[in-house]
Amino acid sequence: MSFESALATLIVHSDGETQHLQVDVGTCVRDALDTTAIRVRAACGGTGSCGACVIKYLSGAVNPATLAEYQKLSASERQEGLRLACQIRVVGDTEWLLEHPAHVSSWKSIAPEDLIPVEGQLPELQHFIYGLAVDLGTTHIRISLWNRKTGQRIANRSGFNPQSVFGADVLNRLNAALLTDNRSLEMAQLARQAVLEALRDILARDIGEVSPMLKEIGSVIIAGNTAMLALLSLNGANQLLNPDNWQQPIDCLPLGHDTWQSEWNLPNAKIKLEPALAGFVGSDLTADIIGTRLTEAAGASLLVDIGTNTELALWDGHRLLVTSVPGGPAFEGVGIRNGMSAEPGAIYRVERLDDGHSLKLSTLGAATARGFCGSGLIDMIAILLESGTLKPSGRFSQNPGPDGFLAEAENPKTAVTPGDVDALQRAKAAIATAMETLLTNSGLTWESIERLCVCGTFGRHLNIRHAQAIGLLPSLNNDKIELYANATLAGCEKALLSDGISLFDHYAALTQVINLSYVPGYDDLYINNLRLRPIEMHSVINT
Amino acid sequence: MLDDIINHYNEAVFDTDKEAAFEVIDNALAEGYTPEDIIFKVVIPAINEMMAIITKDPDANLAQHFMTAQIASEVTEKMLLQFKSPPEIVGRVVIGTAVGDLHSLGKRIVSGCLKAMMVEIIDLGVNVAAERFVDEAIAHDAQVIAISAMMVHSATGENGCRKVRKLLNEQGLESRIKIAVGGAPFRFDPELYKTVGADAWAADGISAAKTIVDLIHEVNAK
Ligand code: B12
Ligand code: FES
Repeated sequence: MSFESALATLIVHSDGETQHLQVDVGTCVRDALDTTAIRVRAACGGTGSCGACVIKYLSGAVNPATLAEYQKLSASERQEGLRLACQIRVVGDTEWLLEHPAHVSSWKSIAPEDLIPVEGQLPELQHFIYGLAVDLGTTHIRISLWNRKTGQRIANRSGFNPQSVFGADVLNRLNAALLTDNRSLEMAQLARQAVLEALRDILARDIGEVSPMLKEIGSVIIAGNTAMLALLSLNGANQLLNPDNWQQPIDCLPLGHDTWQSEWNLPNAKIKLEPALAGFVGSDLTADIIGTRLTEAAGASLLVDIGTNTELALWDGHRLLVTSVPGGPAFEGVGIRNGMSAEPGAIYRVERLDDGHSLKLSTLGAATARGFCGSGLIDMIAILLESGTLKPSGRFSQNPGPDGFLAEAENPKTAVTPGDVDALQRAKAAIATAMETLLTNSGLTWESIERLCVCGTFGRHLNIRHAQAIGLLPSLNNDKIELYANATLAGCEKALLSDGISLFDHYAALTQVINLSYVPGYDDLYINNLRLRPIEMHSVINT
Repeated sequence: MLDDIINHYNEAVFDTDKEAAFEVIDNALAEGYTPEDIIFKVVIPAINEMMAIITKDPDANLAQHFMTAQIASEVTEKMLLQFKSPPEIVGRVVIGTAVGDLHSLGKRIVSGCLKAMMVEIIDLGVNVAAERFVDEAIAHDAQVIAISAMMVHSATGENGCRKVRKLLNEQGLESRIKIAVGGAPFRFDPELYKTVGADAWAADGISAAKTIVDLIHEVNAK
């Protein structure tokens, strides 16, 4: 059922730490490490020209030294087992020692299989041919640098939004920013600095020059949810707390553009903050629509971007109905006793073994389990439901007591409590009800949906069958459900490659915003959807 | 006998099974209990019982709270129609969500439980201005203003509960009208109700009903 690609284990020791990575045979060692916290030093894009990515062979099967390595490493160095990480391809299980790692950075590369290939109508360019795409998320910031002339993605980075210290959800963030002008400036600068830092990391490691390259960047496209845009630009945050403003676009474009340009040291770049669609419907949703090509299918298509603030778009063939719903934080671990984001040690998958009751937990980085990220929690609850340990009402058939239900004996970090189940029920009900409301509003039923694009938090780890069993996703045929890890970034990238026409404005003009707070009956449906059971697929549409 | 009815009714409610709950009530009526008995000897004691259960098992989930309230208020409404003489009202409460807040569920649950406890509810809806809370409380001679707020800024903002307190104070109404608050932010910080100037708060709809009835008695005792 799964594709049989040969896997090998790559083990790397550095500074007393060890990374165990499961990689496809043929994977480049530098690329594999770039997705982790232990990175090799680098100053070229892995072309073998800088010689910085030195790493020491311990054992295992890899390709022989390349020409570049003969040029950059002396015979005695090669004798010692030194190699250039960017030149090594994994052939079988192999083990390495990285004596001089790059300084620790919070910026990591996104795994290539998590990226959406992007093509565009390449702009005619003579100067400033580089472009930067920025997905400014509440939890993560993701950027990628492009050569707009050749349509080539040079590199990308993903890291945490440093504003998180001021609150996990958008409202806490807005409240913090509105406290004082200084605080909002501080928060704006945190995000701006983070983007710059990620960009410098790319330039230093993947091109080898920083300052001269900054001048060559001609375009920056930034998308994000409304609150993130407002916090970045220092404009619009106060309007966001007033419900009267939620139905229409909120002006959160930067007031002083030039100051920003000099802050980022990008003298030649056109910086574009893509405008939000409404109060809590940001341009990240527009980017998702572009990135997933939502409007290109013949039939109706539904997109849901599950995050701290979940956003939805329904394409009915003519227009895009969009809305937002606050169902996300639970899936990012907020309010869950052992909840955590997708970091090393997070249980991202739970399976029931053939014996019918023992559980197999998979953690990120194959580390000791430290808690559940969203996809792991959904697996866990679906399995408990399947085995009858949980009732559809969300109650445990036998009270697990104050320690909760342990997925792994003697590891309290694998406990699930009744309170966690309640939090998950509330979150999934809010999202399911939002989907149903969009369908009802356009007179559609689930049967007419050709594509369901699921973006955001879960990436590609989500077990669709489990998400269906608890009623988070509808029971559509599997071939209609598409999981995307980086749709927002892809949307920005596509816009970067289509100079001239603004893709964002084009799609914004097709949207119609629905505010769920004003939808009569939302709350009744919501209560109905709290039950852990598949979404009702044949619901009658009342007109 | 009555204990059995209460137990069965509570079991059904706890399992969020509305049909089963109504079946218990119908059977009780068939056995000769009057609508008055149902309210005063089953529904109200059942809510009290439920409160005890929830104190012991704080993990009762949202669906259960909602169903408790929904079933109790539906049963009450049905029974009230059959009362021989109009029931005696414990008191009056104006309820609504704080200004800027459109989350209506907390208010619905609290109202449902209060109705079942024979409290008259004046529902002001969502996004209610402080002035309106006070004006309506005066107009209806209510003993309590109940404010539900699900978001931090609507719970703590200058125009929410704080302003209601200020208005009551300016108009010398503080001994006649009490303020109860509730909603997610108050559950995270049990001292928050004091900071925003409320007289009481409750963590769930069922205890809210008791807290509010206590406030009514406090005002009426004066
Ligand atoms: C459903 C929901 C919605 C629905 C509301 C539908 C409706 N008609 O009510 C919709 C989709 C419309 C919505 C919109 C928004 N929401 Co909302 N919503 C939720 C959600 C998922 C559940 C809230 C709920 O109904 N709880 C049910 C109540 C009844 O549960 P409870 O708190 O346990 O209530 C008990 C007690 O508090 C007590 N009680 C309640 N009221 C009172 C009153 C008194 C007097 C007393 C004594 C007791 C009492 O009794 C209750 C019953 O037992 C929560 C997240 C969550 N998982 O809880 C977010 C949440 C409340 N929403 C949030 C946000 C941000 C929003 C939006 C701004 C976002 C958006 N994307 O549009 C808008 C704002 C709308 C507005 N102006 O109010 C945030 C608030 C964050 C914060 N830090 O303040 C939350 C916490 C989610 C999050 N973490 O981001 N939301
Ligand atoms: S030589 Fe390997 S990264 Fe430059």
